[in-house]
Amino acid sequence: MVCRSNGRCQDTQPVSARVVEAYIGEYASGKSEMAINRALELKSQGRQVTLVDLDTVEPFYTLRPLKEFLEQQGLTVIGLSKPDSFGLGETGAMLAPAARWALRREGDVIFDVGYGVYGARTLNLVEDAESSAELRVIAVINYSRPMTGSKARIIEYIKELGRVDALVANTHLGDETTLEIIEEGTRIIIECAEEMGIPVDYIAVDKKFSGKWNPDLFPVPVKWITRYMPAAMW
Amino acid sequence: MLKVVEETKKAFLTGNETIAWAALAAGADIMFGYPITPQNEVMHYWTRLAPKYGRDFLQTEDEISAGFTVCGAVQAGKKAFTATAGPGNVLMQEPFGMAEAMRLPIFAVIQQRGGPSSGTVVYSQQEVALTTYGGNGEGFRIVYSTATHQEIYDYTIKGFNVAWKYRWPTFLLGDGYQAKMREPLEMYDPEERGIKLEPTYPLVGLPGKIGEDREPQHLCNIYSLEEELYDVVTRLAAEYEKIVPELIEWQEHSCEDADIIILTHGIVSRAADDAVKALRAQGIKAGYFRPITLRPYPAQQLREAIAKSGAKKLLIAESSYGQFERLTKQEIYGETIKIETLYMPGVGIVDYDIINKVKSVL
Repeated sequence: MVCRSNGRCQDTQPVSARVVEAYIGEYASGKSEMAINRALELKSQGRQVTLVDLDTVEPFYTLRPLKEFLEQQGLTVIGLSKPDSFGLGETGAMLAPAARWALRREGDVIFDVGYGVYGARTLNLVEDAESSAELRVIAVINYSRPMTGSKARIIEYIKELGRVDALVANTHLGDETTLEIIEEGTRIIIECAEEMGIPVDYIAVDKKFSGKWNPDLFPVPVKWITRYMPAAMW
Repeated sequence: MLKVVEETKKAFLTGNETIAWAALAAGADIMFGYPITPQNEVMHYWTRLAPKYGRDFLQTEDEISAGFTVCGAVQAGKKAFTATAGPGNVLMQEPFGMAEAMRLPIFAVIQQRGGPSSGTVVYSQQEVALTTYGGNGEGFRIVYSTATHQEIYDYTIKGFNVAWKYRWPTFLLGDGYQAKMREPLEMYDPEERGIKLEPTYPLVGLPGKIGEDREPQHLCNIYSLEEELYDVVTRLAAEYEKIVPELIEWQEHSCEDADIIILTHGIVSRAADDAVKALRAQGIKAGYFRPITLRPYPAQQLREAIAKSGAKKLLIAESSYGQFERLTKQEIYGETIKIETLYMPGVGIVDYDIINKVKSVL
């Protein structure tokens, strides 16, 4: 759901269209959080949603602690659960095999593409990703991350990522986030996007700021984010 | 040369990334390393950043080599470091011992992972014994056990300084959680903050003729006479013990009237801090004590905290099976306070684990 400055809210896609999005970006930029929030948003609209954990380096450290909770919310989650990986040792550091075929499932598919630097290139592990007309590759940018902490660094970073169809402006400082921090980061990210000719899909803002955010500040919709990842413990 | 931290501001980082930025800010010249979880992103970020700031990196063939190349680089006057974990820390004990014997100012980051043995990559606090007293020697080392990303940044900068000021091998002891988790911290330029960066200097190849212009620089780690080794180790011990009061760091609060003191180190002390506050709110007199330096250990300070509180019990909580308890016991030998333990090897400890344990023993 996207809410615009006039107070009207609407779905980001027509209900009939299939949503296929891959969240990529710098390590710790908020990819998993964006992917979870997006998947749950689509689910809340009564849609069928599959969330895919595509972290090739540390599948143990990503969605695993939240998998059961997310399944209880009605999502199909492709990723390793604790019983799946118990006893496997280092050989357990692998993708759930079903991830390869995720695009052949019915309904919406959201990919959480872990571990930063390889960007969308990790999608080469997924059948049909290259030919898919539905797939959108979305880069998550947090201006408070030093690697994307200035206009020049953001532009340099996005160029390194390869294919990027859209950005999400996700500036925050964890528990120490302020409106000023979000606003400054958003302004810079939108400037970069304009310079690079890439759309900004939305601004991700912790829902605790929902009464305080000025919707007229930027010509980009806001999504209110619930932070699930702190519950992942590590 | 590009400035590393252009302006002091809060940033959102993982622990490993924090180490790479702090090492840059501290003026580190070169990292030597060999990949191992959970320190990999120290190398990943260092190798992404180092070329932009004119710094170097060498991936060696294994951890033994990584440790020895650090030993070599500091002798050439380079501010050098490495980062490792678990079995990598085991392999590096030989070069770490060499650094103790030759008083080499090396700095190493240890991101603890589980054990015993090689393949366990997950969080743990099971490298306490190895990092403080590993190797064939007497543990002449300086070990900082951090709890927050701000501390990781601060003590990485400090670690280089302490290594070069005192010339003992210096360690930052983190863990798999601190490596991977992300939280805000303030990144700053140390010199703008009034932190003087210790100058580096070559230890070998010095100018001047030995015997005329200067004394010989005798950096030695091999002694073939027992009596000679006796003299050397005794001298090293005296030199180390002399600086202990300058190095000791610890945190304590709520110990004055405590019935029970909770003793933790590293990331577990965050849970202990929360637990003490919650217990106090429930009227239970709990105190908090945390060594920041595990080596040298703040033994006198802990003894004083026990004495002034009159506490009947000391609860030691650790994500290992007694390594921290054994380290503590040898340091406070003779104290009669009853020691309770909460061992959770490989598992994170949260506030209610400690709260429940306190309630079960009081």
